[in-house]
Amino acid sequence: MPDTEFNEEDVLTRASQGDRDAFGQLYERYIDRIFNYVYYRTGNLHDAEDLTARVFQRAMNHIKNYTDRGVPFSAWLYRIAHNLVANWHRDRSRRQEIPINDVPILPSKGDHPERNLVHSQEQEALLRLIRRLPSERQNLLILKFVENMSNAEIGSIMGRSEGAVKSLYHRTLLALRDQLGDQNINLDND
Amino acid sequence: MKKVSESQLFELEAHLAGTLKPVTPPSELVQRMRSRIRFPQPKEINWQIGNWRRLFVVYGSVMSGLLVTITVARAFFYFFRRDI
Repeated sequence: MPDTEFNEEDVLTRASQGDRDAFGQLYERYIDRIFNYVYYRTGNLHDAEDLTARVFQRAMNHIKNYTDRGVPFSAWLYRIAHNLVANWHRDRSRRQEIPINDVPILPSKGDHPERNLVHSQEQEALLRLIRRLPSERQNLLILKFVENMSNAEIGSIMGRSEGAVKSLYHRTLLALRDQLGDQNINLDND
Repeated sequence: MKKVSESQLFELEAHLAGTLKPVTPPSELVQRMRSRIRFPQPKEINWQIGNWRRLFVVYGSVMSGLLVTITVARAFFYFFRRDI
């Protein structure tokens, strides 16, 4: 649905009154973003599907309680997703670990498949390092690079100031660079 | 303390941008999730609304017919009871 026809405030009002068609519109609008977030946080297509569906189920069940307090609806959805992913990691840590290397890399939007194959080794190494970061730093990188959000937008989702996000981002880059050095991972230039 | 090389960080940012790209969930996966969440498709909603209207008309017609039949039967019984 084009953005010009989508009045989020109106759709949210209808959805919170139990209009499932309106909630369907919200689903169509945010499914890709939530799926991306969950996919990069889990690194697992099957669990990404399961958790994304649960995010929207939970959102649908609780949308009557949603109130606009200056925080965008997307932030509310991301928080649900964040909580479910955190629970998933906690449950998973109690069970047998699944090697993250087995995770397939989905084709990116507008990317050539061969280019993905060439870069997959390098991407996997970097993704493994990213997944070892604290969840807050993972969130930050996903929102910045996958969702292409500004520091201010990320701050509204993470409940931090723009300056705090900028500072956390810089510290995250330094930590990643150090880990790359420690593990002798060389990222080749294109 | 390590001296921070800005070029290293720019390079790392470029690699992050190349790695953390938006992915497109397969369409069958989106449909599967939609059916799991169980909110109907717009066409399904239209069909359901049409169906409810149809059911209402049928129910109303049956009830009206029943009332007419009962009224006629009662009238018939009232007028001809004594003669039977």
